[in-house]
Amino acid sequence: MAIFGECFRISLSTAMAYRANFIMVMTILFFSNTLFPLVTILIYGSGSGFPGWTFYEVLLIQAVFTISSGIGEVFFNGLFWNTNFAIRDGLFEVSLLKPVNALFWGVVSSIQPTGISVVLGGVAMAAVALAHTAPLTVASVSMAALLFLCGVSVTFSVTCFMSAISFKWVGNSRIPEMFGSILDFAKYPQDVFPLAVRGFTTIVMPVAMIGYYPAAALLGRADGASFVAIVPCAIFSVFAIWFYQKMIHRYEGVGG
Amino acid sequence: MRPVEAIVRRLRILRAVAFVTYKEWSAYRTHSMVSIIVGPLYFVVQYFIWNAVYGNAAAHGDTALHGMEFSQMLVYFGVNALIGYLTMDFADWNLQMLVGTGKYLTFALRPIHHRFFAFSQKVGHRILGFFFEFVPCLLIFLFLFRVPLVPPQPLWAALSIGLSFLMTFFVNYCIGLSAFWFVRASGIRSVYTILNSVFSGALIPLVFFPETVQRILFFLPFQYILYVPAMVCTGSYRLGGISLSLARIVGLQALAVAAAALLSEALYRAAMRRFTGVGA
Amino acid sequence: MTDAARGSCIRVRDLTKTYETYKRGSTFAETVRSFFRRERIEVKAVDGISFDVGEGGITGLLGPNGAGKSTTVKMLTGTLFPTSGEIEVMGYVPFRNRARYVRQIGAVFGQKSQLIWDIPPSDSFMMNRAIYGIPKGEYDKRLGMMCELFELGEIVNKPTRVLSLGERMKCEFIMAMLHNPKVVFLDEPTIGLDVIAKQRIRDFIREMNALGTTFVLTTHDLEDVEQLARQVVIINHGQKVFDGDLSALRKTLGDKKIIRLTLAKPAEGLEIPNAVITGRDSELELTLEADVSKTPVSALLKNISSRCEFTDISIKELPMETVITRIYQDGSAPIRG
Repeated sequence: MAIFGECFRISLSTAMAYRANFIMVMTILFFSNTLFPLVTILIYGSGSGFPGWTFYEVLLIQAVFTISSGIGEVFFNGLFWNTNFAIRDGLFEVSLLKPVNALFWGVVSSIQPTGISVVLGGVAMAAVALAHTAPLTVASVSMAALLFLCGVSVTFSVTCFMSAISFKWVGNSRIPEMFGSILDFAKYPQDVFPLAVRGFTTIVMPVAMIGYYPAAALLGRADGASFVAIVPCAIFSVFAIWFYQKMIHRYEGVGG
Repeated sequence: MRPVEAIVRRLRILRAVAFVTYKEWSAYRTHSMVSIIVGPLYFVVQYFIWNAVYGNAAAHGDTALHGMEFSQMLVYFGVNALIGYLTMDFADWNLQMLVGTGKYLTFALRPIHHRFFAFSQKVGHRILGFFFEFVPCLLIFLFLFRVPLVPPQPLWAALSIGLSFLMTFFVNYCIGLSAFWFVRASGIRSVYTILNSVFSGALIPLVFFPETVQRILFFLPFQYILYVPAMVCTGSYRLGGISLSLARIVGLQALAVAAAALLSEALYRAAMRRFTGVGA
Repeated sequence: MTDAARGSCIRVRDLTKTYETYKRGSTFAETVRSFFRRERIEVKAVDGISFDVGEGGITGLLGPNGAGKSTTVKMLTGTLFPTSGEIEVMGYVPFRNRARYVRQIGAVFGQKSQLIWDIPPSDSFMMNRAIYGIPKGEYDKRLGMMCELFELGEIVNKPTRVLSLGERMKCEFIMAMLHNPKVVFLDEPTIGLDVIAKQRIRDFIREMNALGTTFVLTTHDLEDVEQLARQVVIINHGQKVFDGDLSALRKTLGDKKIIRLTLAKPAEGLEIPNAVITGRDSELELTLEADVSKTPVSALLKNISSRCEFTDISIKELPMETVITRIYQDGSAPIRG
């Protein structure tokens, strides 16, 4: 915790040293989230929509996804970029020389405080959505909280996977783009997709847990599948961490 | 130096730099492979979303939304992805990296306009992209997804895509030039990326925006990057209640490219004055 | 006749460069405070320096870190406008007509590579050939000559990222000199290289200088200075503190010699007239410093032998490092060469 706290303080100082950029990034990230559900707004504005889902219900899915992404932005996303660059430049040894677990160090040394604005943007969206949906209950909130934590773990695991792939695909800065295209499936009600796709996004790579399942729980629409989906999240997280540790062994000091 | 000699010399430089860039990026095959995954996957998402949305509309008796049928939407998004593979570049990121690391100095020490060097790099990079991104994805869209992607007027489509190639470059280069004023200019790039992704038509055809917004977008440069070439590829152009022939809209696109080129030159000169004033 | 008198290739008069920057805090509280209000400060990186470099010469530009050497070199290459003063290089004013001026010069900045990381240097050379418009025959001849001088062989056909630092630096030199520039600026070109690689670079500079290229070299390696530089300009705190040749540099602190003495037996409280004991490695091994312009060597030896018995003695010139260190530490008092 001491290491984590110190690293957070340093990352905040570093970010604030470039004043104009800090303000700009925070503002951009905040407003980019009001643009995020724009497609949904325009779809519903055209007179149509997703069958069985109101605009605000879809907005809630996207809000939860955004909050989880924001947490990822603050705590996890930097892991990928720092790992990617360090491997490319042959500097990963610097991390390996630290007397702490390499993954832990990768996470704590990559904190990006500006991501807090993404969280705030998601919270704002959620507030708007919840104001127009059915009232919350203790059961729905509890269930949603549990599923949300599972979703955050999936966000972390995706970042772990991307970072691990960097050891093989050295210097490839488009890996997030690749995983981003899979994460796109998680931003919409899952019943618009066929069963095979839903099976993939729930069991194989449980990205649906990042937005859909917690939002469905908040709306009182959680079903058996929501509970079942917790197990793949745990398995996915364990596998991601194992994969990252395994790839460290493959590390080549000349940056591939 | 006579004009013909100057042109020949510039073509030689373009060829040399493009070739070197082609070789440099062909060492990163996995970069191109990502496009083969991302493009089709993104299209699959769009397919199911719009299938659901149009299904819902059909249940209410509508087969078109804002004048676009489901089949047109699929063509739009397919063409959108492919145009991106032909026209994308990292001129903004490259320039910001050069300025941030101090390596821009090595260009100030050589008798070459850096914008021309960056453009030559784009040519080399996109030649690689043509073979390893565009062609495989085109085959996937044509034969696996069976999306009819042949433009009804291929010559106008080719010209519009060529202009989009230039437009993307000039706008990205202008964004990159901000690095001469801001030490960490990633924020400006992010602003542009967000605005571009929304207002270029990459996320959704611009006709879905309210009419007032469409009329504003008509006068902004974003539509000339993706929306215009995509609509030219579908065979008709419409925005903000304005319908134009392909010849007219491509002509407007050419004017927009010229304006972007002039702006990039003005910003470049200002950037060089600043660079030589405060150093690398 | 000095290089400068032979005909000035580079003329610098009252060159000044001032920067504006902001004071940033170091503690967390200071960082937060500076987020809302920042104190502007003016830094004079170069303060009214003047010097000449003769055609065909090799000039070493020395100074401690932050002295203003790199800023001076950037102004000489035209990549930085001076705040005031004049620069003329081969008749050009560097920051005007940049494209025409840079055709005549080359530059190697130790930390800023021109080579492209993932492809062989030979490809980067071809790219520069196109940029400078070098005719093929001339390019092949010059490239062959430089590759032979550096004994590079097939190394130029391997990707840059697999080359050692020494090999990469040799390729950087070739990159900078393919177009046969008349003046070449070198900013710490031997930094991080092993002794063999450094010697190859120095030999190369000498060979190219013999063919007529003028070099201006900034370095912290005094061996570079001793082996190459015919003229030395020392900058400290943005001001010129020395301008002359090497022998004049050595004599700036007087004609000092280092005497290493091995005594036959310990001698407590030993004092030698006109000599100062500067070090004691053991009871029997002493190091003294004496100015032989004030006390001739023969008199010095008489003084030593009259006061102690010794089994071994050596008399050498003051190391260049000591001379330079003392000049740096003395600050900005100018010393005439």
